Amino acid sequence: MMTTINAFLAYKGIYFLTFLLLALGLSGIIVCKNYMKKLICMNVMQVAVIFFFLCLGQKDGGTIPVAVEGLSAAADYINPLPHGLMLTAIVVSLGTTGVGLALLLRIKEKYGSIEEDKIIKREKKF
Amino acid sequence: MRHLPVLIVLLPLVAAQLCLLISKIHYKAGRYTVLAAVTGSLVMSVMLLRQVIAEGSVHYYFGNYKVPIGIEFYVDTVNALILVLICLIGALTFMYTTPFARTTDKTLVGAANTMISLLITGMLGMTATGDVFNLYVFLEITSLSAYCLISLGGSRGIVAAFRYLLVGTVAATLYLIGVGILYGITGTLNMSDMAAILSKWGNEGAMLIAMCFLIAAFGTKMALFPFHGWQPSAYTHAEAGSRPLISGVMGKIPAYGLFRYMYCIYGTDYKYFRVFLIVLGILSVCSMLYGSIRAMAQTDIRKMLAYSSVAQMGYIILGFAIGTPLALCGAFLHMFGHAFMKGGLFFATGAIRHKFGTTKLEDFGRIYKAMPFTCGLLVVASLSMIGIPPTVGFFSKWYLAVGAAGTGEFIYIAVLVLSSLLNAIYFFKLIEKVFIQQKSAKTEALPAAEGPEVPLDMMIPIVVCFLAILLLGIFNAKIVDILMLAIKGVAL
Amino acid sequence: MKKKLTVLAIALILTLPFTFLDILPSIGDVNSAPNKHVSAYYIENAISECNSPNMVTAVIVDYRAFDTLLETTVMFLAGAVVLLVLARKPSIKNRIVIPKSKRMHKDKSGNPIYKTVNKDVMITVIQPLILVYAVYVLFHGEVSLGGGFQAGALIAMAYILDVLVIPDKKSVFVLPKKNSVALAGLGPFIYTLTGIICLIGGGMFLEYAKLPFPVHTAELHSIGILAVEVGVTIGVAATIITILNAIMERVTFDDDNY
Repeated sequence: MMTTINAFLAYKGIYFLTFLLLALGLSGIIVCKNYMKKLICMNVMQVAVIFFFLCLGQKDGGTIPVAVEGLSAAADYINPLPHGLMLTAIVVSLGTTGVGLALLLRIKEKYGSIEEDKIIKREKKF
Repeated sequence: MRHLPVLIVLLPLVAAQLCLLISKIHYKAGRYTVLAAVTGSLVMSVMLLRQVIAEGSVHYYFGNYKVPIGIEFYVDTVNALILVLICLIGALTFMYTTPFARTTDKTLVGAANTMISLLITGMLGMTATGDVFNLYVFLEITSLSAYCLISLGGSRGIVAAFRYLLVGTVAATLYLIGVGILYGITGTLNMSDMAAILSKWGNEGAMLIAMCFLIAAFGTKMALFPFHGWQPSAYTHAEAGSRPLISGVMGKIPAYGLFRYMYCIYGTDYKYFRVFLIVLGILSVCSMLYGSIRAMAQTDIRKMLAYSSVAQMGYIILGFAIGTPLALCGAFLHMFGHAFMKGGLFFATGAIRHKFGTTKLEDFGRIYKAMPFTCGLLVVASLSMIGIPPTVGFFSKWYLAVGAAGTGEFIYIAVLVLSSLLNAIYFFKLIEKVFIQQKSAKTEALPAAEGPEVPLDMMIPIVVCFLAILLLGIFNAKIVDILMLAIKGVAL
Repeated sequence: MKKKLTVLAIALILTLPFTFLDILPSIGDVNSAPNKHVSAYYIENAISECNSPNMVTAVIVDYRAFDTLLETTVMFLAGAVVLLVLARKPSIKNRIVIPKSKRMHKDKSGNPIYKTVNKDVMITVIQPLILVYAVYVLFHGEVSLGGGFQAGALIAMAYILDVLVIPDKKSVFVLPKKNSVALAGLGPFIYTLTGIICLIGGGMFLEYAKLPFPVHTAELHSIGILAVEVGVTIGVAATIITILNAIMERVTFDDDNY
């Protein structure tokens, strides 16, 4: 009984945590009223997806994918492909967060606040 | 000649990277560089189309690595036609943006030209690629440039751009989860390799869940019914010069991506394929009705056109939901026609705003006397949206209706006719305002009411769209023949 | 209450299918599909084909080099977008402004609080070390962990330390906004130029084995990877400096007299 629970947590349990993080980020975007909080929840969502991809690339007993003398079989190194793909995803997330922050600066200057209901009220002036 | 697929994407990319350096010499030099690059891409995409019609589909392997190891570009006839469309409308929009510039500062003008060039690059790459993760990166390039171009549209544009940023990033993240699930089952990122492995030993439950994420992601990007919330304010407040490109073409490329996933990667032999056809059918019917009903109530012409875009995307997805070869050809013909129709309507409204300074429908009285060509384009585009022969709108709806009758789903024909009638209501309202209503005081008092109609840079896109809508309608049989070369292999 | 229900509903819909249905491969499984099909080829042939013991570098800069070119373009695009969005400041009458009071922070003896010995001395000692480490990381990206992105971030950090920490210090090297964004475009262009030289040499785009230099094939891969990484470094460093310049014009420091 304990071994099956152990096996379940080791092999599939981490997916549960990763998707819980994704759900928290997604619900944060929907529920929060402050634009800055929405931006941070968007970042949390992107990090959750990065973790999900890295989970797919693990191998039991593998070491980091830099070749060392003596180890040459494919089962000795962890999968390098998800790590390479996630480098791209991190850079894209950085770019999007930077653009979001610049837009927030403009919104705060123009409307005086970054809460959603205040902005909708003040939008009618322009 | 074998390097054509990569050169088409490479020319606008290099022009965008060098535009800021070249703008330091003179602020107009960057503009001419980008225009030359996009025109060069247009010529090469026409050459590629002729090559693909003559010899069949083209594969281009980056770094000369074989298929599952490296990245490839895959171009068949459907792809090649969409590449020609993007380059053509890109070149027209680029010519059209010149009179809208409000500054001569070298850095700002160079950066704005870079944005449009990267938008065109992103769309070209998203169409031509054959690798799943490559599509994600091109999608992000397109989205980032679109966020910037929408935010240049004034104070309301900034809030619209921020909301689109949040929604667009959620969509891209959901796409990445779908790709992750498919990678977990197959172990490869190449589209044709994935199709082969999925048909041999695919895990059907996982494919179902991956498809749900992918439909949510692509549906958000092309503003299908429940996911369309970001679209009306984003299209209304975008920068006036780039609006035809964003609204005419940018919404269509994710629809092509959905076609590639459903028909080329999953294939029609997939066990739950009918479920997806029904789901897409329901979404498209709701889009068509909702978009038309909301559009009838608007007073600002830009918002009216934005809601009508939701309805027109419904037609394209209806073609995918029916699945027969004729229906798919109707969907793609509608894609091409709608790019010129909606792009033409936005070209016309931008020109009216440039000359008269207003976009409210009550002020449009009798402007046909001052702007004959623009109103001619308005009339032809409206007739095409409603679906009156010989414009292209009639033929695309005809193919969709024939396809629906072929599979016995008569409810789709009823919804098609109903939404065409609803389209007629608000487009005839537009035509009536332009031709019959009395002149409003605002337009009479403007000094710009004298002089030439619009600058030459704006006149060329207007005339080209006018001719394209008529020519696409008259020669639609040839285009359907070209499309059938690729669609026959993948349709139901 | 409605907020908690929304959060709970989204959490249940997203997490339950993935844990209880048999959709995803087991974590750590050596024989799962992602670990066998294409990645086995990458691991076994990285040294012989690409001359690079670091397999992640081999994957992103040699096998899937096109993705990295587009990623560098995304970075440059983000810098240009920030520049364009923050370009103009509307006048006071067009803005809704909520005033607040500002005080300058002083310590007990009356000097402004940013003038400490630590920052004056330590920065001039640390900066050359950061630059040396950045160049080391760039050149050793193939052999050990490292690469172009990390090196670019380190170079940008050296510049940021110089400009940002002590506001009235005269910097030796200043990169204003209009030059840094042009430099950010030059970075991806060097990357694309490497690919175009491969085209001229007779191969496909980004096929390093066809670069027209008279050296051995393994050396050609190393030259190609190095040129590409230099392009990435310049692009990343210049983008970070552009974003810094664009934001710095609009924020006020607590220490400023105005």
